[in-house]
Amino acid sequence: MQEAIVRFDHVSMQFPGVLANDDVSLEIQKGEIFALVGENGAGKSTLMNLLYGIHTPTSGEMYVKGQRIEKYEPSAAIASGIGMVHQHFMLVPSFTVAQNIVMSREPRKAGIFYDLRQAEREVEKLTDEYGLHVDPKAVVGEISVGLQQRVEILKTLYRGADILILDEPTAVLTPQETEELFQVIRRIVAERNMTVIIITHKLYEVMAIADRVGVMRQGRLIGVEKKTNVNERILASMMVGREVLFDQLERKGERGSVLIDVKEAYVADNRGLMAVNGMSFQVHGGEILGIAAIEGNGQSELIEAITGMRPLEKGEIHVQGQSIGGMTPGQVRSLGLAHIPEDRIATGISVQSTITENLIIGKHRQSQFSKKGIHLRQSTIARYGKELFDKFDLRGAGTDTKAGSLSGGNMQKVVVAREFSFDTPILVISQPTRGVDIGAIEFIHHQIMEKRNQGCGILLVSADLDEVLRLSDRVITIYEGRITKEFQAGAIDKMEISYYMTGNREKEGRGDA
Amino acid sequence: MHKLLQRLEKNRSYLLSLVLSIAVALLIGAVLMMITGYNPLKGYSAMITGAFGSSRVFGNTLTKALTLCLTGLATAVGAKAGMFNVGGEGQLYLGAVAATMTGVWLNGAPVFVALPLAFLSAILAGAVYAWIPAVLKVKLHVSEVITTIMLNSAAIYFCKWLSNGPLHTADKGVLSGTDAVPDAFQFSQLIPRSNLSTALLYSAVIAFFCWYIMEKTSVGLEMKVTGENPRFAFFSGLKKDKIMIWSMIASGAICGLVGMFEVYGYQHRFMDTISNEFYYDGMLVAMIMNYSPIGIIIMSVFFAVIDIGASAMELSVGISGELSDIIFAVIIFLMAAEGGISRWINDKKLQKNAKVRISEGSNRAAKGQEVKTNG
Amino acid sequence: MDNFFDVFNMGLLQNTLRSATPVILAAMGGLMTEHAGIMNIGMEGMILMGAFVAVAFSFTLSSAAMGVLMAVLIGILVGLFFALLVVKLKSDEFIIGMALNTFAAGLTVYLLRSIFGVKGTFSDKGIVSLPTVHLEFLDKIPFLGPLLNDNSIFVYITWILVFAAWVFLYRTPYGFWMRAAGEHPESLKTAGISPIKMKFLASVLCGIFCGFAGAHLSLGYLTMFSEGMSNDRGFIAFACVIFGMANPPKVFLAALLFGFLQALGLRLQSVGVPADLTSIIPYVATILMLVYIVVSGERKRKNRVKREIEG
Repeated sequence: MQEAIVRFDHVSMQFPGVLANDDVSLEIQKGEIFALVGENGAGKSTLMNLLYGIHTPTSGEMYVKGQRIEKYEPSAAIASGIGMVHQHFMLVPSFTVAQNIVMSREPRKAGIFYDLRQAEREVEKLTDEYGLHVDPKAVVGEISVGLQQRVEILKTLYRGADILILDEPTAVLTPQETEELFQVIRRIVAERNMTVIIITHKLYEVMAIADRVGVMRQGRLIGVEKKTNVNERILASMMVGREVLFDQLERKGERGSVLIDVKEAYVADNRGLMAVNGMSFQVHGGEILGIAAIEGNGQSELIEAITGMRPLEKGEIHVQGQSIGGMTPGQVRSLGLAHIPEDRIATGISVQSTITENLIIGKHRQSQFSKKGIHLRQSTIARYGKELFDKFDLRGAGTDTKAGSLSGGNMQKVVVAREFSFDTPILVISQPTRGVDIGAIEFIHHQIMEKRNQGCGILLVSADLDEVLRLSDRVITIYEGRITKEFQAGAIDKMEISYYMTGNREKEGRGDA
Repeated sequence: MHKLLQRLEKNRSYLLSLVLSIAVALLIGAVLMMITGYNPLKGYSAMITGAFGSSRVFGNTLTKALTLCLTGLATAVGAKAGMFNVGGEGQLYLGAVAATMTGVWLNGAPVFVALPLAFLSAILAGAVYAWIPAVLKVKLHVSEVITTIMLNSAAIYFCKWLSNGPLHTADKGVLSGTDAVPDAFQFSQLIPRSNLSTALLYSAVIAFFCWYIMEKTSVGLEMKVTGENPRFAFFSGLKKDKIMIWSMIASGAICGLVGMFEVYGYQHRFMDTISNEFYYDGMLVAMIMNYSPIGIIIMSVFFAVIDIGASAMELSVGISGELSDIIFAVIIFLMAAEGGISRWINDKKLQKNAKVRISEGSNRAAKGQEVKTNG
Repeated sequence: MDNFFDVFNMGLLQNTLRSATPVILAAMGGLMTEHAGIMNIGMEGMILMGAFVAVAFSFTLSSAAMGVLMAVLIGILVGLFFALLVVKLKSDEFIIGMALNTFAAGLTVYLLRSIFGVKGTFSDKGIVSLPTVHLEFLDKIPFLGPLLNDNSIFVYITWILVFAAWVFLYRTPYGFWMRAAGEHPESLKTAGISPIKMKFLASVLCGIFCGFAGAHLSLGYLTMFSEGMSNDRGFIAFACVIFGMANPPKVFLAALLFGFLQALGLRLQSVGVPADLTSIIPYVATILMLVYIVVSGERKRKNRVKREIEG
């Protein structure tokens, strides 16, 4: 057996508060296409960023072509033949294709001047050589995402890379562009004997392109398999299955009237691209509707549209029978809706404010907490904060410390405590237990089920499939902004659901795309 | 008292670096004096006498402190809600002109009519001029820092034109400036021959109000949350845009009043030299004190002592009064750098701790977990 | 009405050129930091220090060249200091810029009084001013010839520097790296070049240009140093950078335009149009420009969404 071209030897990476990679050992062979799969936050990107020298591992060693990596710097990685196409493209939008590709290795005239013509010629030659056509003179910010990715790949080839890392390469591509990309990958591996590492969470892609696959979960490498030894269902269970046995949760009460009604909704993402493509569903009182989807399939934009944080481009959303088009989050909340956001630090909390302040926001104008809605009753607020603090078993410093000093799990409890204490009939809950320890998960799950049994209508989104299955009465799977299937509680097969989450239904409809 | 100690304890590292920065800045001032051939002890003692030596200079020091404090609070009111009002200088000018002319035109009217109208005009002038960049920021996301810088110069030139052109006094003995505000409307002096006037009382009311709103009310809480994380404020249902715009308006209104106090307190007519970048000084005070109202009030007194003391030092010992600017700037450099340095030290510490934890953790993990590697 | 047209003569254009030159120089520095993604409002202070140092050394060493050299040297130091605080220690660029202006205003006056014992303005026969340049061939060209001839040497150097700034930014790899450092630092980093180093370079270049601006102000435009003589030029330069979207030729034109307005304002005073009012124009124009940039960008995004839904 030949020596591995890349070797990870007990590599760990600790970020403040997160152990992103936990003792990973892995070997990748020359000339293979290796897929690295796992949920968001499983540590795939971090592992590859270490290889590319963006971070220095906290412990462990890495070897490229038999050489131990001494200096963790992108320039050293480039020199050893590694090229990386990041999930967020590393392109300067105002530069041309050629200028982006040759950056840091510009052809020069008279030693200091940039030979722009020569750069274009060289890029043209490169595109011909690899059959990756793109106009060298086009401005990068104005070409399609698929072409931008092609520019990224050309960039690594221009720098002479023979190990290519692709981080979620298809997340932003159309099916046709994906197919083209795969052809390119197969060609460069076959013709140039290149090594390709592809990070993804779309399992059919793994089956379509990879030779071997490694599965990561919570920073650890769970297993490495030859593609021929596995299928999508096995991979899905390795990827999402945290087999912690929880107690059965008690369900009570009748299904009530419609509380959230989404009709043919279209929602755009931050770049102005459509993320939700005509979704329709209803949430009733006394039920939990779970949304199962791999991240980046429109569920975040959908939740933001329902809660008033993002405009609806087309279609209708009704909350308690009222159309929420054009409403602010405050107005939607006043219809009786509370919201646990997916990203607690960016959206759910003010890290510089105290825990009590974070708990009271939204209620601070009620007469029990402020005289005439203005003068804060500090002692009542402090007592209330302490009560919630104890009820939700918050650990950490006192109620008047900054929320930012709490651990992730406790921060999440602050958000849950506040939103649940509004006692609204509708709850929109996104990633309720991400980064939370098991004990807290159990607590939060019980709280959610209690709300359901009291007759609340709950919309739940989670990347944790076990969580969705445990809590939901009904589950819908979403892929690329569309509903692929609806399941009823009890009749849910986990394998089948992960099958629909990873876009299999879409294959049938791909002909007309 | 117990509460105060608690607060001090909570901000200990911040206070420590503040005291250190001030000490280093004073030391650098001393070195500068020595290099240029002066005795620093003489210099600093002249500074102290210059600021406290007589009731007259003490009055002037207090007046300076009031200006710094109000402009500082104006900065804080905006910054608390995430609005960086750099345009206070222009708002101050416009407030001063508006209040002056209101007084001039209402000559003969009863004080209880004229004075409230003068207040109102100063508030309106400052507020409207702050409203423009606020709306541009909130509705169009145009950086309020750049627009307020530009609006400053525009307002100052505009007021220059007014005071040298259409509003220039007919009084032959006066070279520049508008007519004087009628004696009846001027604030009365609290300490004879000093600049200290009843503006002290008005300022105290404004300062109290700022402190009260920012620290004790639901409005202050909403401002804080909006300024710290606007997305969270929006998510929580706060009227984020309204809060930001009104904070800026309040900030502008205070600046307008500062302009009025300069005129009604002791200058008595509007001249285009009404403010020597007073707002910038106040803004720096506010930044140093992290926009804490109490901190701004205390630090304003310190800066006023240095400022007024330095001018007196120039007269008595011959050391240039600009030493005060140098000392201010050095304090700011040090305070601004302090954040970076301590962040850097913290990062290093974190990395070190993480390494220790990992080596412990991975030993444990290695035992309980199998890693399959096919070849 | 005759008087009105008298305003537009050769002198007006000459004044434009003279008054624009220090602003152009500073603005060339400002556009470097702007490209590197630093909002630099400390140019006012940088110019002031350059002006003082130039006069101080021109006087003590009886050499204008030494004055300029020392002004540039101080510019480099201040640029390094600014970058250390803003780039390395990540202090707020705005606070540091403001403090730098206060510091420069204080220090120059303090030193003026302590070293030269004067208050207000230091003007002495011992200060060697920069030479003016007479180019023979220009005499032969009517109108333009006399306009362009017999200016302080820095007027000509400035034109060269504008061209050099353009070449640097758009025709050398370093310029591309610097722009990448401001626009998308991660892409530069992953290409193996440190964005921090490029930001330092931008800051130092800004210091050098402001040093030139200061030296020209105190040794070319005038031959003296007076308190606060930068007189808002740093802020005007900042406005030019934004107005000209940080492109050297456009910034150059913006500075000329603003300089023309200033010169015109002074002229128009003789026919009753106040200079103070014309001085407002650059600032208001800059705000309008900013609004225009933002609004047109937003419109593009909206059109894209619309197209996608319909298409």
